[in-house]
Amino acid sequence: MKQTTLIISSFLFSILFYGQNIGLNISLFSVLTLIILIIGNTNKFKNRTTLTYALLYLLTAALVFFQHSFLSLIANIIVFFTLVGNITESKSSIFVNWLNGIYTSIAGFFHRNFDHNEKEEQPKLKKDIDLLHWIKLIGIPLVFIIVFILLYKNGNSVFNDLISQINFSFINIQWILFSVLGYFLFSNIINPVHVEPATQSDLDAGNTLFKTGSFSEEKLKKEQQLGTTLMLLLNVLIIFYLVTDIIALNVSSSYDAVTLSSQVHNGINALIASIIMAIVIILYFFRGNINFYNDNKTLKFLAFAWIILNAVLVILIVIKNNDYVSAHGFTYKRLGVYIYLLLTFTGLRTTFLKVLKIKNLLFLFRANTQIAFVLLIGLSTVNWDAFITKYNINNAESLDVNYLIHLSNNNSYILYDLREKGTLSSSNNQAIFIKHTAYLKDINTRNWQEYTFANFQEHSNSETHID
Amino acid sequence: MNIPSNIGKSILLASSIFWVIYLIQEGDLDFAPIVVLSLIPISICVSLTIVITICPVFWALRKEKEDNKSLAKRCFPYYAIVASILCLYGVKASNFDSFFVSFLISAYLTTAQSWVWFAKEKRS
Repeated sequence: MKQTTLIISSFLFSILFYGQNIGLNISLFSVLTLIILIIGNTNKFKNRTTLTYALLYLLTAALVFFQHSFLSLIANIIVFFTLVGNITESKSSIFVNWLNGIYTSIAGFFHRNFDHNEKEEQPKLKKDIDLLHWIKLIGIPLVFIIVFILLYKNGNSVFNDLISQINFSFINIQWILFSVLGYFLFSNIINPVHVEPATQSDLDAGNTLFKTGSFSEEKLKKEQQLGTTLMLLLNVLIIFYLVTDIIALNVSSSYDAVTLSSQVHNGINALIASIIMAIVIILYFFRGNINFYNDNKTLKFLAFAWIILNAVLVILIVIKNNDYVSAHGFTYKRLGVYIYLLLTFTGLRTTFLKVLKIKNLLFLFRANTQIAFVLLIGLSTVNWDAFITKYNINNAESLDVNYLIHLSNNNSYILYDLREKGTLSSSNNQAIFIKHTAYLKDINTRNWQEYTFANFQEHSNSETHID
Repeated sequence: MNIPSNIGKSILLASSIFWVIYLIQEGDLDFAPIVVLSLIPISICVSLTIVITICPVFWALRKEKEDNKSLAKRCFPYYAIVASILCLYGVKASNFDSFFVSFLISAYLTTAQSWVWFAKEKRS
């Protein structure tokens, strides 16, 4: 049953992907993958987490169809690895799921062979059908016959002419080879395997920090004094920085693009260094027994204060980036700043929780990877090219049309509508027309495997847009 | 560890995979007569790869009383992940050149199967 399913799936894999671009095929592949996984691991799909990942996998596959963006494709691939890894071990952390998912996808077949016992399998094989014997019986003579034909071909012109008349062009061997690749992938994932030491270590490790045996009051007192002094000085320094930054923000209300850009990027650089140092210093001091030391209240207070002040620093950079965006519109870099700031903010929050609830480093890593995963899926639901284009056209004080033209085709119709208003330069009008025409051509020459949502919108739009 | 036997089987496997993929991709069977000659460079590559990248893992990382299978289960996942990343990078860097694609796919599959053969050996 499994073998038949795998063979059919591998042919479907070739039908979907051989010589095709990304589109509807990703959605259909996701459904096919889910069917394979359910057939191979029916019981695992009773688990709620696995079902959630399965639904997320279908959602991201649908997003590839609707958004047709690189981000949605990346999200789909990551959810695929997460789902496969989760089927292996549903209780492990998300980053271990990724590790197991990647390992299963590339080497599951080989891993299962470690446990494969030939002596036990032999009688069973012989009872059904001696597959290996048939492969040898057909394969080995076939290989030798082909090699000898090719050798004789060069030695005799009559033989060569006869052999040349045999035409196998109706068989696309590359297509079959591609099916073998599909078979390899599906046979890897049908019974997911796990990276043994990593999965077991992850299952054994909790999130809470415990007091270790070597609890020396004297040592902890010295460490607490060092930590308190350092944290106090760092707090004073960051307060001084924040005050000067707030004054600078209030003094000059408008900047040119270059000044704003340099301010935001310098701010980001300062923030990166500050946050990394903050987290490393906090993790160092709160790595062990100091969490259980009675006189650690001042150190804890200073650590919390520093985290909160770093969060204020994040907010100040958001304000600067807002000014920058409202004046000059969105770009991917400016969006990236927001995403980075959001991740930083959540990173600070988890560090705060780590110190407050006496958690270990693994807690921080688990929480942050989960947040990054959720954020990735959330971000992939937005058509960013269309969003940036719409926002910039409607809100930006100075519009960089060239930047919008160089985005993906997802903003093609919006730009075309802008062109029709007649407010753009002739070179921009021409560039938008070329982009739009190329996009329509691309849509109309797609195979069914490459269809996206735009193909179903295209008919109504093309009637109004083709000159 | 029976290294000569493993290398022998790996050479045959690597040659088969390499030539099947290469001949199919190129669609030109004129290369076929040099299949036998190609065994020499393939043997060198396979032997070096196994001796340099797989055998040291078995020699250096084996715990006391650990058999080949347990060691393979412990170390192979990381080897496979690193090898596949390098091979994918190589395929991309070569701009999907037929020769390199065939070479890297056969290298990946052969080294993985070589691990399986080592894992199935009984410890002497």
